[in-house]
Amino acid sequence: MHLPHSTLKQEFVKKWIMGLQRCKFSNKNMSIFERKKAIKLSADTAMASARKGLTCWSRALISTPDRSAVPTTTRRASLACKKIVKRSRRIRRTAKCGAARKRQITRSIAQCLVWKRTQILKSLIPGGEFMNEVCLIEETLDYITSLRVQVDVMRSLASASVRASEPHN
Amino acid sequence: MSSRRSRQSAAGVSRISDDQIIELVSKLRQLLPEIRDRRSDKVSASKVLQETCNYIRSLHREVDDLSERLSQLLATIDADSAEAAIIRSLIM
Repeated sequence: MHLPHSTLKQEFVKKWIMGLQRCKFSNKNMSIFERKKAIKLSADTAMASARKGLTCWSRALISTPDRSAVPTTTRRASLACKKIVKRSRRIRRTAKCGAARKRQITRSIAQCLVWKRTQILKSLIPGGEFMNEVCLIEETLDYITSLRVQVDVMRSLASASVRASEPHN
Repeated sequence: MSSRRSRQSAAGVSRISDDQIIELVSKLRQLLPEIRDRRSDKVSASKVLQETCNYIRSLHREVDDLSERLSQLLATIDADSAEAAIIRSLIM
């Protein structure tokens, strides 16, 4: 499943150019905002399709390209986390605070943090809500690699465009 | 300890196990400079998750900024240089 950086980059560039050509930038009536949306959408689609359906996040991204449409679970996460912390405080108040109790409380707060941050991570990865923890970790690594390729290529195109727009002396 | 774990899974709240976190840390170490520079092998699970989330959010922001920049640059790519011609022929 893991592709070398250069192969992934080539796939992304190929697919992105195809997508950009369809955007019809020669149409001068496009607003900057519309153009930005088109660039972003084509970049995300290219990034996802470069994985050729091998990862969950790429399939999820292609089926819901508008990231803002993906619901986040952070509100539920913070409510559940508050319950766990309240429970730990109650234990601390009612029980005698020996060393074992203190360890238990620390542990439950740590578990709460892990759980809460796992939920946040799930909301950041496309399709993350439906993944179990093992899948989430693998998908996260692949997603980060693909995002770095995307940023790399976009930066190169931006600097090439800057050079191309410079007046010749 | 086993009763706590079974209580957790009964409630539907599962947590990432230590082995999986160790695997994640070793791979993320190459990707995240904050964790790579840290000498100790013991990085807490919640810290790794937090750094990962922050990194992904910063990458998303960068893609957004680059899209905006590209949208302005490509709008004005009318120049007569060879590079402009190449870019125009590639994507327009």
